[in-house]
Amino acid sequence: MADAGTTSTGEQSHELSTQKGQTSIADAVVTKVAGLAAREVPGVHDLGGGAARAVGSVSQRVGLGDQRSQGVSVEVGQREAAVDLTLVIDYGESIPQVAEAVREQVIKRVEGITGLSVTEVNIGVNDLYFPGEEQPEEETRVS
Amino acid sequence: MPATERVRLARLAEEAVAATKGVAASVGRTGVWATPDGGRTIPGVVAIALPQGRVEIALHVDAIWPPPPLTRVADTLRDRLVRSAQAAGLGDRLGPVAVSFHDVRAPGEGA
Repeated sequence: MADAGTTSTGEQSHELSTQKGQTSIADAVVTKVAGLAAREVPGVHDLGGGAARAVGSVSQRVGLGDQRSQGVSVEVGQREAAVDLTLVIDYGESIPQVAEAVREQVIKRVEGITGLSVTEVNIGVNDLYFPGEEQPEEETRVS
Repeated sequence: MPATERVRLARLAEEAVAATKGVAASVGRTGVWATPDGGRTIPGVVAIALPQGRVEIALHVDAIWPPPPLTRVADTLRDRLVRSAQAAGLGDRLGPVAVSFHDVRAPGEGA
């Protein structure tokens, strides 16, 4: 029977040991789970502040960024995690209701997937989204 | 040229990852999490020879959204590898098996 082992990945991660061995989950995983969970909630238009979204958009276009992690900050311990989110919410939605739904969804996903206990989900609403607000795509010069 | 026991265990580890729902092998940003196997590399598997002829296996994976509980996935991977190693007559060669989750792949997101 295989026993437990360790792996050094050179990145931030937390270890979960079971009788069958050691499991390492990178903080990036917790960050992404929280971001994807928040995006599942109706009324959430986007995550991140204006600068983060602008930078994220550019970096994603050049293949460097991952917008799914923008607007999410996590602090991960051995057993617990705390999550900070910055949201853009659709205009007209109830901000308290959307925030509460996001909180519940993030806790459900992070606890269910990673096994960590979520101690807090802090939510900041950074902006409201109005339909038609996006910048139109630049017209291409060639067809 | 027959493969070494280390490479045979790495191949079994690769099969265990491929057979497990919710994960995909990850070679990392620099491509170092892999094991050379003749003219190819086995992605996401690092197999290190230990004293007494045992081999330590480190599985490097990304979770596929929405993943099942990761500790359960890790135990499934270990169980699969242990069973296949035993079936291949390599059970006593298999040493520690570590599983590291590095990222989550969202829908439409490639490796």
